[in-house]
Amino acid sequence: MDTLANVAHGFGVALTGINLLYCFIGVFIGTLVGVLPGIGPISAMSLLLPVTLSGTPESGIIMMAGIYYGSMYGGSTTSILVNIPGEAASVVTCIDGHQMAKRGRAGPALGISAFGSFIAGTFALVALMLVAPRLAGIAIAFGPAEYFSLMVLGLVVLTFLTQGSMPKALLMACIGVVLGLIGLDSITAQPRLTFGRMELIDGIGLVPVVMGLFGVAEVLLNTEQAIKRDIINAKITQLLPNKADWQASAGPVARGTLLGFLLGILPGGGAVVASFASYALEKRLSKTPERFGHGAIEGVAGPESANNAAAGGAFIPLMTLGIPPNVVMALLLGAFVIHGLQPGPLLITQNPGLFWGIVASMYIGNVMLLILNLPMIGMWVQLLKLPYNILFPLIILFTILGVYCSSNNVFDVYVMIAFGIIGYFMRKLGYEPAPLVLAFVLGPMLENNLRKSLILSQGDLWTFVQRPISAACLALAMVLLIAPLLPALRKKRELVALDEGA
Amino acid sequence: MSRYGLKTIAFAAMHVVGALLATAAGAQDYPVKPITLIVPWPAGGSTDISMRAIADSASKVLGQPIVIDNKAGGGGTVGPATMAAAAKPDGYTIAQIPITVFRLPLMQEVSWDPAKDFSYIIHLTGYTFGVTTNAESQFKSWKDVVEFAKANPGKVTYATPGTGTSLHIGMEQIAAMSGIKLTQVPFKGGAETNAAVLGQHTMLQADSTGWRPLVDAGKLRLLMVWTGARSPNYPDVPTLKELGYPMIYDSPFGIAGPKGMDPKIVAKLHDAFKKAVEDPAVIATLAKYDMVPNYKNTEDYKKFVVEVTESERKVIDTLGLAKK
Amino acid sequence: MNNPSNVKLRLSNSELWGGLIGLALGGFVTWSGLKLKLGTINDPASGYVLFYTGILMCVFATSIIVSAITEGGPTLASRWENVRWSKPLLVIACLIAFSFALEPLGFLLSSIPLMLLLLRLIDPVRWTLAIPIAVLVPSGMWWVLKRLLLIQLPSGLFGIG
Repeated sequence: MDTLANVAHGFGVALTGINLLYCFIGVFIGTLVGVLPGIGPISAMSLLLPVTLSGTPESGIIMMAGIYYGSMYGGSTTSILVNIPGEAASVVTCIDGHQMAKRGRAGPALGISAFGSFIAGTFALVALMLVAPRLAGIAIAFGPAEYFSLMVLGLVVLTFLTQGSMPKALLMACIGVVLGLIGLDSITAQPRLTFGRMELIDGIGLVPVVMGLFGVAEVLLNTEQAIKRDIINAKITQLLPNKADWQASAGPVARGTLLGFLLGILPGGGAVVASFASYALEKRLSKTPERFGHGAIEGVAGPESANNAAAGGAFIPLMTLGIPPNVVMALLLGAFVIHGLQPGPLLITQNPGLFWGIVASMYIGNVMLLILNLPMIGMWVQLLKLPYNILFPLIILFTILGVYCSSNNVFDVYVMIAFGIIGYFMRKLGYEPAPLVLAFVLGPMLENNLRKSLILSQGDLWTFVQRPISAACLALAMVLLIAPLLPALRKKRELVALDEGA
Repeated sequence: MSRYGLKTIAFAAMHVVGALLATAAGAQDYPVKPITLIVPWPAGGSTDISMRAIADSASKVLGQPIVIDNKAGGGGTVGPATMAAAAKPDGYTIAQIPITVFRLPLMQEVSWDPAKDFSYIIHLTGYTFGVTTNAESQFKSWKDVVEFAKANPGKVTYATPGTGTSLHIGMEQIAAMSGIKLTQVPFKGGAETNAAVLGQHTMLQADSTGWRPLVDAGKLRLLMVWTGARSPNYPDVPTLKELGYPMIYDSPFGIAGPKGMDPKIVAKLHDAFKKAVEDPAVIATLAKYDMVPNYKNTEDYKKFVVEVTESERKVIDTLGLAKK
Repeated sequence: MNNPSNVKLRLSNSELWGGLIGLALGGFVTWSGLKLKLGTINDPASGYVLFYTGILMCVFATSIIVSAITEGGPTLASRWENVRWSKPLLVIACLIAFSFALEPLGFLLSSIPLMLLLLRLIDPVRWTLAIPIAVLVPSGMWWVLKRLLLIQLPSGLFGIG
């Protein structure tokens, strides 16, 4: 088959010494960057772009791609260990991952997220090779109306499954949307809700919000419990997932991979929606949904796989249409162009060596990442052996530095401290931060696409129902919203909603 | 997910690969750390990519990396407006200044004053604009669009990179001259308008040459270009003038920093970027997007800002888009 | 106090207060939306989404209030029962003091006392351990950031750091 010959050719390109070296440097930097919360792959790639120009296009792009998917591996580490998500897609990993760590199971949590990432990453690449051109259509099938409906669905899915009280979750989601809209309007450039503060013109940063709501609030909650704090020091029994863990995780990894890959193709919030949707799906399918939020390994395996599969899916619109679905992909696009290549429908046929070489290098990179990350689990787990009264000031210092370094801006430190305090009182009153964070990310896209679809349809609201993809998303959202009101389903939901603590 | 391009942790990485890095910090006072260049368009469009090429070349002269920070929205004004409001004039934050920065204040209340809030550095280049439609669309030529729009007022939708951009103003002028009504849908930049017209969410796309690979691949059809002469890459595509609209649009742009920058730093940046637009590699990248360097030094750029604001005022008034 | 007929109207009901805060926020957002102009449905302006989100917030907050009144809810005090409520307040106080000190004093002069306070006030770590941690960790981080990563942390009025 043609593809096989191409794959072989690709490995020929990827396995040359210099490309292997670039690949390793890429994934190594990616891992480092991913572990530190608040510091994403974008900056590393921007700064290293000039370096990649010294080699061949293949080497440069292989290294850039390595940084990208390498950072996806590292992203979950701080979520699991200290409840600090480094990026939106890791927020959902905090919910069960950190609970696992508190129960002495940080090792299996880190292990399953590494293996899940590996499996999902590999699958995404196979799919990328086999079906990339055919799936390109998905990326462009989503216009403003479809995005709006997808965002609505994303918000509803989350509120339905993670909360005890629906109105509280919805209220939090609305607050998230409003916080996301602070700053200059993306269509008319008018300042909104900035209260005349210069710092708010740019909007509130995601990093200080999530670090405050999760990291700092968690510390505040922990300090009030004299006994609970010992739990984090519970005996660490195993470093890697055992057989039972694998049995529980197989399904979530498979479903998360598929979901992540498909949603990753969409330009915009694909990866974030995928990780949240995967969590919700696993909780819904689980026979024991009450375990979620208290350290269910499925709640780590699914979203982490979805997250990484989405990273693979994101290559499809870039490679086939030249449309970058996120900023990282756009940086890669920039790298292509500076190297004299033009990603677009003709890229794969015009430069087969490049395309297949990159894909093959990603296989190799994934293996490298697994080898690189597994030994580090033992090291991370040791960190949790510190007594909590020493650990928590360090966590606070770490969040302050992480936030400051992500923007070089003192104002963001204030924002983080404010959200830490707000987050603490929210949690005390039974309001969960996760819907707020998701809505914060999706809110601006929701608004922008709503306005564009209304302009397109000239104010006709039926547009959301007439377009099939949009209608399907809205119908699903409706079902999820109405379901709890129907008596037959009510029982199930109450069961699902039992747990409030995350 | 990050808003800020400048994440200096990557420096750790750079020390790891230090040997690969020819551009280590020198002993000069400026620059001693990476410079953030705000590009007010989403990553992947023609401005973004050409600015990356220019920045890359300029960074070699300056000896510090230039980090591109894509801050899209408001037709390319959100980025410069943010810079004007929040950045220090230390030369470590500069922005691409699209023509909307001068035009939008004439149309609505905004938070910046183009005459006062910026330290203009250098004028760089301009665009080639064009109107495309999906290859499967019923529109084979611009004439088809006009006929359809006459029969169905307001039904023809076109995607632009934002309200008040030259594409928006240009299309409205064309519509006014043809006596038709078109509906503008403001996106944030080329990568988004490409997807919109490819997915047939809008009927037309009016944007700079980010559509080129898609036109070359036969997925989009180019209906017209807005340059003075026909593009050598698309000799069959008519210009605005040939279609009976006596206009040329190229939206020249340059870069600026926040007000109050040290003239010495301005001069350093000017020199570096001047070398960049003379760099053959940069000219080659620009040529991919049918862009030609249009260099103006700091003084000429300042004069140009005044001129362009005046000429824009006239157009905006004629179209009835001026702020009340 | 435990009279069941009285339960529904207690002012100490935490749900009620949560709902009221939500209602106030919703009202503010709605008002801000109006002020930013709604535009028309075929060309929504800046305040359009804010306005409707604000209304939704009011709806959800009202439903929280209604259920707080009809079904009752845990009192504010009960939320802090059996916990050392003073400890998080101490941490909050330290953090607020820190945010006021950060810019004038710089990172080193503000974070070392912060660490010392956190180490000593909550679950006191013995001095011989607390002082080295409070001094060495922030200065170590500061050194790594400044020398290796070239990140300048705030140095304050005295220029220390």
